[in-house]
Amino acid sequence: MFRGKKRNIQRILLSIRCWCFVQARFLEVKFPVKNKEILQKMTTLRPFTCNDMFKFNNVNLDPLTETYGLSFYMQYLARWPEYFQVAESPNGNIMGYIMGKAEGNGDNWHGHVTALTVSPDYRRLGLAALLMNFLEDVSEKKKAYFVDLFVRVSNKVAINMYKNLGYIVYRTILDYYFGDPDEDAYDMRKACSRDVEKKSIIPYTQPVRSEDLEMF
Amino acid sequence: MDSNFERRLRLIYDALDSNSNKKALSEADKVLKKHPKFLAAKALKALAILRLGREEESNVLLDAIMKEKPVDDGTLQVLTFCFKEMEQLNKICEMYNYAAKQTPGNEEILAHLFMAYVNIDDFKAQQTVALQLYKLHPKNPYYFWAVVSVFLQGVKGSESIVPEKRKLFLSLAEKMVHKIITENKIEAEQEAQLYIRILSEQAKYREALEFLDSSIALKHFPGAPTSIRIDLLRNLKEWKTLQELLEKLLKEDRDRWDYYQEYLNCSIELSKSSDNEYSSTIIEETHKSLCELINSGKPVRGPYLARLELYRLMRELKLDANKILGNCNKLLIEYFNLFGDKFCCTNDISMYIDSMQQDERSNLANILIKESAINSTNLPKTKEEMQKHITALQLARICGAHKLLESDHLLALFTTLKLHYEHGLSNFGKDLLATDMGPSDLYALLAANVMYDLSIKEQQSKPLLEALALLSYVLKNSPSNFHVKLFALKIYQLLGCLTGAQEMYDLLDIKNIQLDSMGYIHCNYLPLSGRFNFGKPTYEAALKFFTNSYKDRLAYITMSYRFGTFSKLLEFMDFRDKLTNSIHYSILSAESLILEIVGLNGTINQNLNSFKLLGINPQEDRTAWNELSDNRDLSLLVRWDPIKEYDAKSDEKESLSHEIEVLQIRLNLLRLVASIVDLMNSSTSDTETLDMLLESFIGLYQRIKLMNYKPISNKFLVNLLPSRLFLLLDLPYEQFFTDLSNFILKLWNGLVSQEDKDNINKNVDNCVNVLNSVIDENNSKQDNMWCRKFVQERISAIVEIMSLYAFVLQVSHERYLVISQLNTSKKGKRKDQLENEKSNVLNDRERLAIVIDLMRHLKNCLQISFNNIGNLKAPFIPVDLSDLMNDLSIKSDIQSTVYGDITGHFKENHVQLVNEIRCLIKDKIKLVNK
Repeated sequence: MFRGKKRNIQRILLSIRCWCFVQARFLEVKFPVKNKEILQKMTTLRPFTCNDMFKFNNVNLDPLTETYGLSFYMQYLARWPEYFQVAESPNGNIMGYIMGKAEGNGDNWHGHVTALTVSPDYRRLGLAALLMNFLEDVSEKKKAYFVDLFVRVSNKVAINMYKNLGYIVYRTILDYYFGDPDEDAYDMRKACSRDVEKKSIIPYTQPVRSEDLEMF
Repeated sequence: MDSNFERRLRLIYDALDSNSNKKALSEADKVLKKHPKFLAAKALKALAILRLGREEESNVLLDAIMKEKPVDDGTLQVLTFCFKEMEQLNKICEMYNYAAKQTPGNEEILAHLFMAYVNIDDFKAQQTVALQLYKLHPKNPYYFWAVVSVFLQGVKGSESIVPEKRKLFLSLAEKMVHKIITENKIEAEQEAQLYIRILSEQAKYREALEFLDSSIALKHFPGAPTSIRIDLLRNLKEWKTLQELLEKLLKEDRDRWDYYQEYLNCSIELSKSSDNEYSSTIIEETHKSLCELINSGKPVRGPYLARLELYRLMRELKLDANKILGNCNKLLIEYFNLFGDKFCCTNDISMYIDSMQQDERSNLANILIKESAINSTNLPKTKEEMQKHITALQLARICGAHKLLESDHLLALFTTLKLHYEHGLSNFGKDLLATDMGPSDLYALLAANVMYDLSIKEQQSKPLLEALALLSYVLKNSPSNFHVKLFALKIYQLLGCLTGAQEMYDLLDIKNIQLDSMGYIHCNYLPLSGRFNFGKPTYEAALKFFTNSYKDRLAYITMSYRFGTFSKLLEFMDFRDKLTNSIHYSILSAESLILEIVGLNGTINQNLNSFKLLGINPQEDRTAWNELSDNRDLSLLVRWDPIKEYDAKSDEKESLSHEIEVLQIRLNLLRLVASIVDLMNSSTSDTETLDMLLESFIGLYQRIKLMNYKPISNKFLVNLLPSRLFLLLDLPYEQFFTDLSNFILKLWNGLVSQEDKDNINKNVDNCVNVLNSVIDENNSKQDNMWCRKFVQERISAIVEIMSLYAFVLQVSHERYLVISQLNTSKKGKRKDQLENEKSNVLNDRERLAIVIDLMRHLKNCLQISFNNIGNLKAPFIPVDLSDLMNDLSIKSDIQSTVYGDITGHFKENHVQLVNEIRCLIKDKIKLVNK
């Protein structure tokens, strides 16, 4: 169509914010990570399929997990199927899932966590860590330099969990989350083995404005 | 093109984008005035006209444009929009085909042509176009479009059912990829994955495995999931290798259930000797490995549960499991003691209760309760102790401990559970976030089940009301607990309170795909609630999701071609079909159409216009009956009911067949009524459609009655509610509409006798009688809450029947009124009329008189019903409901809000129900007031 590109870009930007929003919402879930805690994540891990959308209600009915329009899930399934995994319990219930993607050029080639959610019935079993490990593993195999994610600065529990998993606060993004008032996000990162000198995780000291983020 | 011109076009696009179709049309006309031959503007005009609802006009314009054989991208894309919106996907192929022929070598147009074929699943044409593209531009994606098109012909295309053809296509696809491999031109992960899939489809697992280990696969498919290797090894029956692989994997992660399942399967296979005996040494080895895994670190569930799974497998094979693994109860208790404080423990253990004898189960229940060490004097001191107690209680119910309890014991159990809930809340539920679930909520959920048992036992509503009060209280403490909402929704429905059910449904905040998978919990019961208007927004929201996803259904598949995600293609196609053929969608659309007709309340012209807008075509049955898809999430409600006392699988199957029958009846009824309306508005004398639909309506009822369907048992709270099918069979739907259709046919032919007329009136009287008797039933019973659902469903069904009848009469009246007026204004009588008069055929004025008679009778009956509905007594709420929670330390203000909320819902529902039904009846009286 003749339509200008600008609108399109805006739309993409908006959807990216949405993606990050999902992820952020999940992160408000409490994940007590004590080293002593025995993790009982026992699970079957497999690629997420379309049919799982008919059955993920016990995960998505939780107020912290948003059920998005079909196209949101379908885009991820169509572009990064290997980054969309579901954890299933021994009796076949969906316990949680992770959505992510690989993007960036050159030494910015990295894995990104878009959404991570665990059913309230299966929390405190270490599932989030398992799903994160999986995503990191895929990123390793894809020879990514690092894995990143965004989190609300107020979400101490989640930030702690990520720190325990080896993530550092790479930079702060101002007013990243829409709301009243807007809230800043931490861009958290963990280097992959390809980044031998760990260049990707040298923190930025200056906060970045959200409109200055390079999206791709 | 000058800039002014381009600006003009942009204006049209903007108008279309913002849905200002009228503006778009006038802008397009302006452009066309200056440049009458400009195709893009014509196409935009066609789109604007189409979106204004003038499909025929748009079609004429589109045909004209197509004759010009457009080639420019802008025009083609706008036309694509038009054809997609009109569901004429073939035309898109046709159009790009023309364009491709006229611009040979145009990559973009060919790519569009490819996608056009993708839209209609024409794999063969896809293959041809993809190869053309590859020839022009030798890029891997195009080549693999061709490969996958061949593959799809082999596994999904129309010829795939012929084994030779299937083989041919698959081996061709294999050869095509093989060529690329030998040329070392594989580029992407998905290409390698597709090759493995092609080989696997041909059972060439060995070749697939070799490829997986090849340097090419290592280079281009480094992230190959282990599951691919496991699948291949299993298919090759390479048990030894597979077992070694799994042992290695399990050492890395002792908690992967999928690996354990494969691992145990391997052991069983390996232990099988040639004469199908099982060697116990291998199983002993396996047991030893599991024990090693158990001992190799902190306790994790995996190896423990695997041991139970091994026990189950051995028992299935009639092997002596006790000899190797010891007593099963011991294993279960050990498991319980280790992991009982996890929410998931109940689900884990319940998988192994199934194979036990009843006495073993009772025994286990007792031991578990004892092991949890909680009783009336010893309350849980920690959250973990409490969860363990909950697990024990849930498992005890699963083992059947509740089903033998007498009423007073059930009540005592309820009180205990309530107290435990309160204790847990006050001790471990402090500082909960609004988004947290309360740690002791599970006690209350169990209590609700217990009270349902009691209600059924005593055939009383009071226990259910008490459960409802408890659930409402829990919801005040943990407002985000969706289990509680689902249970409360169910109880409100059981007690016929739509207001309460709707509140719970709204609180669940169901959206997008959940409208399909979860809609059944509420939407199916809306038309039975008697609240004809109240449910409309819920219907509309759900239907909107379906229309939108239908529109988008093609985009996902083209997207996976664009990204080369071949592994998802079949899955996406399957998903597209499931959404399109969702039975819930079909039911919703049929019900909302019937609802519209029932609600018609205008003058005859207004009603006919509204009816026309519904777009019902009685001749056509668009339901793909053989492809209907059941997308309901039936495991939505959490369940701890005694094993063997219900069969979820068979209930699911039963209820699906009930729903399909309901859909059949409702659609047939809808089309039957529509065909009468159409007949009365037609100028032809062709009653073929009505004849056909009447015949199928009668046949349908005959068949369904022979099927002897039984409602799903109502034994447990979580069981599905009985289908509407039984109401359609119990109430005079069949009789009424069969007689009415026959009558209309006779009236049409002018052959109505007094008897026929009386018969119809008798049918109406019968309806009034049914109505009166259910109202009497409601008013005479002290616990009328218990029969409330039954009563309301019957009232709404009767009102529905009479409303449809009223519209039929209104339409018939109009026809004969107009014709007889026309005839009197003409001088003299036509020859055929004279002939008719000689025979016994009624003339139009006589027919009009008959219709008016019927209308008057219906009017009287409606008047009676109107008055009687006014006498319907409100559901009786036991006054002591306010004392229900006295044994809890709840503040009195909370107690009174909970009580107020519940009684408020019941009262409001009653008032609104009576109101809505009386309004509807009043409207119908207006319709037939002659």
